[in-house]
Order: sequence, then C-alpha cells, then structure tokens
Amino acid sequence: MDKVTLSDLHRIFQDLQSKPDWKSALDTLFISMRNSFVFDNVAVYLSDRQTRGLDVAYARAIGRGKTAEADAAWGESVANDVISNEHMVIHGPEKGSNRNDRMTQTFVLGIPLYVGEKLRGALLFVRFGGPEYSDIHIHVASLQAIWAAGLIERKELQEARAELDSVQRQMRLQDDFVSTISHELRTPLGFIKGYSTSLLRQDTKWDDATQREFLSIIDEETDRLSKLIEDMLESARLQSKTIQFKFSPIRLDALVRDVAARVRTHHPNLVIEMKIDVLPPVLGDGVRLSQVFENLFSNAIKYAPESKLIIGGKHVGKKVRLSFTDEGEGIPEEFIPFLFERFYRVPGERTVTGTGLGLYICKQIVMAHHGNIWVESVLDRGTTFMIELPADPTL
Amino acid sequence: MAKRILIVDDEPRYLRLLEANLRTEGYEVVTAQDGMQALDVFSSNPIDLVLMDVMMPRLDGFGATQRLREFTNVPIVILTARGEEQDRVRGLDLGADDYLIKPFSATELLARVRAVLRRSHTQTDTGQVRFFTHDDLKIDFARAEVWRGEEPVSLSATEYRLLLQFAHNVGKILTSEDLLSSVWGVEYKNDKEILWVSIARLRQKLEKDAHTPKHIVTRSGLGYLMPPMES
Repeated sequence: MDKVTLSDLHRIFQDLQSKPDWKSALDTLFISMRNSFVFDNVAVYLSDRQTRGLDVAYARAIGRGKTAEADAAWGESVANDVISNEHMVIHGPEKGSNRNDRMTQTFVLGIPLYVGEKLRGALLFVRFGGPEYSDIHIHVASLQAIWAAGLIERKELQEARAELDSVQRQMRLQDDFVSTISHELRTPLGFIKGYSTSLLRQDTKWDDATQREFLSIIDEETDRLSKLIEDMLESARLQSKTIQFKFSPIRLDALVRDVAARVRTHHPNLVIEMKIDVLPPVLGDGVRLSQVFENLFSNAIKYAPESKLIIGGKHVGKKVRLSFTDEGEGIPEEFIPFLFERFYRVPGERTVTGTGLGLYICKQIVMAHHGNIWVESVLDRGTTFMIELPADPTL
Repeated sequence: MAKRILIVDDEPRYLRLLEANLRTEGYEVVTAQDGMQALDVFSSNPIDLVLMDVMMPRLDGFGATQRLREFTNVPIVILTARGEEQDRVRGLDLGADDYLIKPFSATELLARVRAVLRRSHTQTDTGQVRFFTHDDLKIDFARAEVWRGEEPVSLSATEYRLLLQFAHNVGKILTSEDLLSSVWGVEYKNDKEILWVSIARLRQKLEKDAHTPKHIVTRSGLGYLMPPMES
C-alpha cells in the first residue's frame, strides 16, 4: 500500500467513525470514494425482517439524477434480482432505448449486502449514459458494500439497544413501584409485629419503662401505617378521578389561618409568620385545599425542623398565589423535577418518615382546581412551595 | 462466656428491637448502622454472630457479607422482607448461613439465633483475620485495600480477586485453569493470555522488581504461587 492510499484510507476511516448516524456515515463513504468511483444515483435496499419484502432505506442523487427526481432509475428490479440470486448484478441500457437521451441509458450495478453470513439487502449504483462498470470500479463498489453493511449492522444494533433500554426502563419503574409500596408497608408492620411479640414473650419480664417504650412505638407505627394506607387510597382515588370536589367560593387567607392554628396546637414551638395581603375568593373545595396546606406545613416541620415558616399571599393578575417558605437545608436541584411524582423520595431522606405520596396528592388536588403548584429551592438557604389558583371569576 | 452478636441495620427501631430481645437471653450486643461500619466494628470486636439487614446506605448487606466472607466464617443471618426470594438466595450464595423474614416475632428471632449458634463450630477468636501480610505486602480484607509498605496500591476489581486467590492459598501452586475459572469464570479457563497480562500487571503494582517477583512466583509448566514466608 502506498503512502497516498494509506493516508486516504486513514482519513475515510476517521470520517466514518466520527459520524453520529449511519446515513451521514454513508454519505461520507460515497463522497470520499467518488474520486475512484463515479455514479449518479445510489440506493440501499433492505429486506424487511417480517415481510421479507424490499424497502429502500437510503437513497441519494449525486449526479445527473438530481434533476430527474422520481423519474430517474433507482435500480428497483435489479435490487430484486440481487436478493433472489444472492449475487452481484450488472445491468446495461435497454436495447432500442434512445442513445441520445442519457437518462434512459442506465447502467446499474447491484451488490448484495451481507451482515455476517446473512443477506440483509442490496446496494445499488446507477450511472446515466455510462461509462460501463470496469473491473476496478466493481472492486471499489464491493468494498463500499462491505463498509455499508457494517454501518447498517451498527445501526440495527443501536436500534435494538434503544428498544432494550426502553423495555428495561419500563420494568424498572414497575419494580420500583412495587418494591416501594411493599417496603413502605412492611416497615411499620415489622415494628408492630416485632415489638408486640416482644411484649408477649412469656419467658421474660420487661420493666415498666421498657413496656411503655415498646407500646408507644407500636402506637406510632400503627399511626404511620394507617396514614400510609390513607395516602395510598387517596392518591389512587385522585388518579382515577373518582373524588367528587365540592367547589364553593373560599377565602384562602382564612383557610390558611385555620390550618395554621390547628398545626400550632400539635407543634407549639413552630414559628409561623403570616404575610398575606387581602385576597379575592377562589372557587375551591375547602376540605381538599386544607389537606394541601396541612401537607406543606408538615413537610416544613419534617424537613426544616429548626426553621420558621413564612406564609405569603398575593393577588397576581387573575390569580391568587400562596407561598410556604422555610429556611431549611434546601433541596438539591437535581431532585426538584421529581418531587411531585408518586412515591418519589429524595435519596438519602430515609431518616424522616414519609410515603412519597404527600406532594403527589397536593399536585392532583391543585390541578383539579385548574391551579399550579411548584417549588423553588436554594441549598442552605431554604425552600418555597408556591400554589397558584384562579380567582373566582363569578365574583 | 456470653456470646457477642453484631446487629447491622439502618433503622434505629430495628436495632432497639433486636438488641432488647437479645439482651434478655444474656447475649452481648454491638450495633452498626451500615455495612462499612459493620466491618469496622467487626474488626475491633470478637463476634459470634452477625444479624445483617439488606437495604442500607454506603455498603449494603450483600456487600458486607461478601467482604466478611473473605476473611471470616462467622455465622451471618440476613434479615430480608417476605417475597424477596432472590434476596435470600443471593444472601445465601454470598455466604450467609440463614435468613430471617421481616416481619418476624421476637420468639422466632431468638430461636433462629440459638439454632445458628448451635450449628456453628467456629470459635470466636479463630478465622477472623482482617489483615494479611506477606513481606511488605498488606491486605485489609474488610476494606478491600492493598498496601505495599506504606504506599496504598490501587487494584482493579479483577486484580484484587486474583490477589485474594494467592493470599488464601499461600504456599500452594495454583494452575492457570484454577485461577481463570475462579476469578474470571469457567468459560475463561483456557484464556491463558488474559491471566498472563493480569499477573504481569499485578506484579508491576506489587513487586519491588517485577522481573524477580517475591509475591507471585511462576512455576514453569505448573502454575503460580505465593511462596510461604520464612519465619
């Protein structure tokens, strides 16, 4: 191999390797070989795996074929011959065709494409008005066919892999869903079983303090389990839209204050700062909306226990916007897009109990009000949950 | 003497539950909240039995079981959830002795612990050697770390497994087939070149002079061995 050929080959290999998809790689292949092999039209036909019929998968008009578009010859019948005979086919112009019209003087070269041992299709070259294919031309074309087959194989492998990836993702989602539910349900159940059977042991006596400790764990875990079941049923109902919302005009500022007062009785140390303007009423279901607020309060208490909570309320255009801001650790940016997904829990948050359903339920309720809920968070600064509901248009 | 039990679980309420019940039976209890901590606790305390949860941060129960099995025969009982059969199988395959399905009753837990302790013939103080030394070479099985003198050596997972074969069989000639099947898998048993390259790489990292190796020595036509140290 001489130096020029070698460096040509080197460049072609490198160009082909750097192309992201098989079509642009094929373009590169044919263009870079055009010095040694001239043609007007090129097409790749692949046999369909199911129907065994031929489909054109790639076609380019490079020379005179450009102007003739669909009327030009693309070698379809020759492609069929190549596939059925599993052999190269060279086809000259029809006898009696007009020698002066180049476009009817077609010289077609068809080469089988093999992926491994399997015939996958045919590569077709068309020349209008010649010249005929010489031995060296056929040689170069065969080389291109081998290359093209490799590119096609790569494409098919990529497609197969993408398909597998998506199947796998589906399976993983399903798996995660089932294993999350079962893990969440089993954990409190395991404690209830374990601590109650400990108390029932006849071969040992627990002192009073220990008995109380075990009983209160059983009590707490029972609550956790019923909350979990409650949340699961609620989210299932919301998802299947079997919940009837009872809409009526509501003042959100009053509703938030009610919920805040209730929360304070359980958490007397929680500092709540109200910064609520006078708000127009919204059309909403008071019970459901309280549920949303309770959830946001309890999240703030769980995830930002040392922080005060600032409740904001504003009238923005035709909407009413409420904000719940804490000064806690914040949520890493990469987890924020998933916060409202069912059963999603920020990784590493296993110390705090939670079902991964609360925010999902909030979102379903807010959406049923034609509203919007979102979160803004800065690490080490704090987190704000925003709710926006349309103001009551009838008032 | 009281048997000492190591409990590994990241849920404080499980630790408390297990600990309270085990103590009533006169066992001593030490606890760890993840696999890494378990390995550390294990190395500094003589332990008769390990109760190991599976889902834990840092190093999970499977990983910890696998590491422990590289240097100890201590009985290990895996705590898994019902229905997760593949977890139990995997745990047993990695060298666990038994499993306990959550939720379990306190009496079942105690009965299982008694049974496993009865079956085990391991003495508390034998078979638990965390460190291996061979001249200037040192292996910390618990942390899967290798040192040459004071210098930490970074090995690939395969190189580490290959080294373990020698460390566990000092003075014994290991054939290429042995090494290939136990490190790479039986289907590789004739791929001698892979072994040659890996041993060469391992020597580059471990030996003072890779041409006159002291740790992994070739016995032409027979295999390789780590020669016994002259005491």
